[in-house]
Amino acid sequence: MALDALRRRSATRHGTTRVVRGSRFRIGAIVRTAFILLYLGFLLLPMYWAAVTSIKPQEDLLRDPPVWWPENPTGIHFTTALNSFNGWKGLENSLIIASVTTVIAVIIGTAAAYSMARFNTGGKHLAFWFLSQRMLLPIAVILPVFLLYSRYADAWFGFTLVDTKTGLILLYTVFALPFTVWMMYAYFRQMPVELEEAALVDGCSRLQALAKIAWPLAAPGLVSAAAFAFIFSWTEFLFAQVLARDSAVTLPVALAGVVTGFQGNQYGEASALTMVSLVPALFLGILVQRHLVRGLTLGAVQG
Amino acid sequence: MDRNIRWLLIAPSVVLIVVLTIFPLGFAIWTSFVQFDFSIGNDHPWVGLDNFRTNWEDPVWRHSLWVTALLATTSVAVELAIGLLLALAMVRPFKGRRVLMVLFVIPLFMSPVIVGGFFDLFLRRPFGPANWLLSGLLGHDVAIDFTIDSPWTYISLILADAWQWTPFMFVILLAGLTAIPDTLYEAADLDGAKPRQSFFFVTLPLLTPIVMIAVTFRFIDAAKLFDIIYSLTRGGPGTATYTTSYYLYQQGFELFHLGQGTAGAFMFMIMLTVVAFWLVRRMLKPLEA
Repeated sequence: MALDALRRRSATRHGTTRVVRGSRFRIGAIVRTAFILLYLGFLLLPMYWAAVTSIKPQEDLLRDPPVWWPENPTGIHFTTALNSFNGWKGLENSLIIASVTTVIAVIIGTAAAYSMARFNTGGKHLAFWFLSQRMLLPIAVILPVFLLYSRYADAWFGFTLVDTKTGLILLYTVFALPFTVWMMYAYFRQMPVELEEAALVDGCSRLQALAKIAWPLAAPGLVSAAAFAFIFSWTEFLFAQVLARDSAVTLPVALAGVVTGFQGNQYGEASALTMVSLVPALFLGILVQRHLVRGLTLGAVQG
Repeated sequence: MDRNIRWLLIAPSVVLIVVLTIFPLGFAIWTSFVQFDFSIGNDHPWVGLDNFRTNWEDPVWRHSLWVTALLATTSVAVELAIGLLLALAMVRPFKGRRVLMVLFVIPLFMSPVIVGGFFDLFLRRPFGPANWLLSGLLGHDVAIDFTIDSPWTYISLILADAWQWTPFMFVILLAGLTAIPDTLYEAADLDGAKPRQSFFFVTLPLLTPIVMIAVTFRFIDAAKLFDIIYSLTRGGPGTATYTTSYYLYQQGFELFHLGQGTAGAFMFMIMLTVVAFWLVRRMLKPLEA
């Protein structure tokens, strides 16, 4: 009896199932490829449409049936968007704001993470407090921050924060800190302490050990934390829309202005500005691909 | 020395967060109990719970809560379903997989305003190609006002959100799938399990904790939906697609009812925290077990 069962099992394993499975694999592969292609279409169509819109001459924009490739591609929308729709200003501001935010968030975030990882500062509670900041509701923060910035900042601190790059940088740093701290916290905890201890024995101070040993070793983690901070500041919209309407205008705000401030059709300009703003984020995105999962889940899932 | 330096290292982050979030939120508690309205004047008389009541009695506010819940759950469900299927399709190596991986994650690095703009451009009648494509596919004329007619507005928003965030589910679930050891599948195979059985008895149970993490993160973000609304429907038609964040933005920064806005933000934050807390507890449960 038992032998029968075993033989049947081994027969199905070596004989029939393999054949059945072979054909099933082929069907599976077809379904799989079809699904991937379908998704790829869904992904690429809107992107392609925006890209081709940015180089269409004005008369092709509103044509029906739609024009999938213009006969006379033009770069006019790029120059118009950059020159007369706050394009250059937005680009410059976004670059400055995102870069400074990234530098500050990475430096002070890494310091905090190092302190938590090596000295267990604040224990679990502080770590989770940082994490809970990730749950903050932006609209709940921006309402009072707007009031403080616009009504009281001048009187209390003696400098203007509304519609300034400083104001946005401060706010962005706060929102970039939780994931900078958590990513680096996870990173430092995985790193062996022996090297730093050796440096301490050799007469380094703690700060030297941090600067000369821990930071260089954590470089890959630093790069992806920095990239995430940059991408966040580069793409953020709500805070910038509220706080920076003119002299500190960022690229997403400039873009929203073109999209929604209808004066005839500005689809070409809007698409051109979109294309411009995509470039740095995509470049950084590809750079951090290996750390993507860890970054998205604040280290909860190891990618 | 070490005793001091540990606090020195952590101080800047903590101080910055406290100054820019805890302090404003404390200030906001006061704001939500007084009359704070740029359109009325500079006095701030105490009004008790009036600000909260005004929100609660506003049908637009209540509707916005429904819209937020509806859009958040539907988008997350759609993203989970497509993301899981895509992760299953992509889990085995094949030619061109690396290029596809790069393409698939691109939307994660875009500003949501841009994504809304993409879909506005793509769906807008008559010159967006969506209706033209649908007409061709279905063989008869289709003329849908995706950004004007209900329920198409909701569908457009879900499409745009899914376009941007399905990759989020996808990369996390893919990491989860890759982490399942092959030996488990071999063991199941030895025991004569069919592919479908090994999916339901090996893959799914092992993937559940990661699904919970992904859903928690995504839901908390989806409930804050603002940017795509701003660039795709602007809350319209009328106030039909106001999410709560968009409603509060309107109250605070278009109508300047800042007292009412902050009161509403508190109410929404409490609701969101309850849901988030429940989700996080569920998320951590399988991790502890």
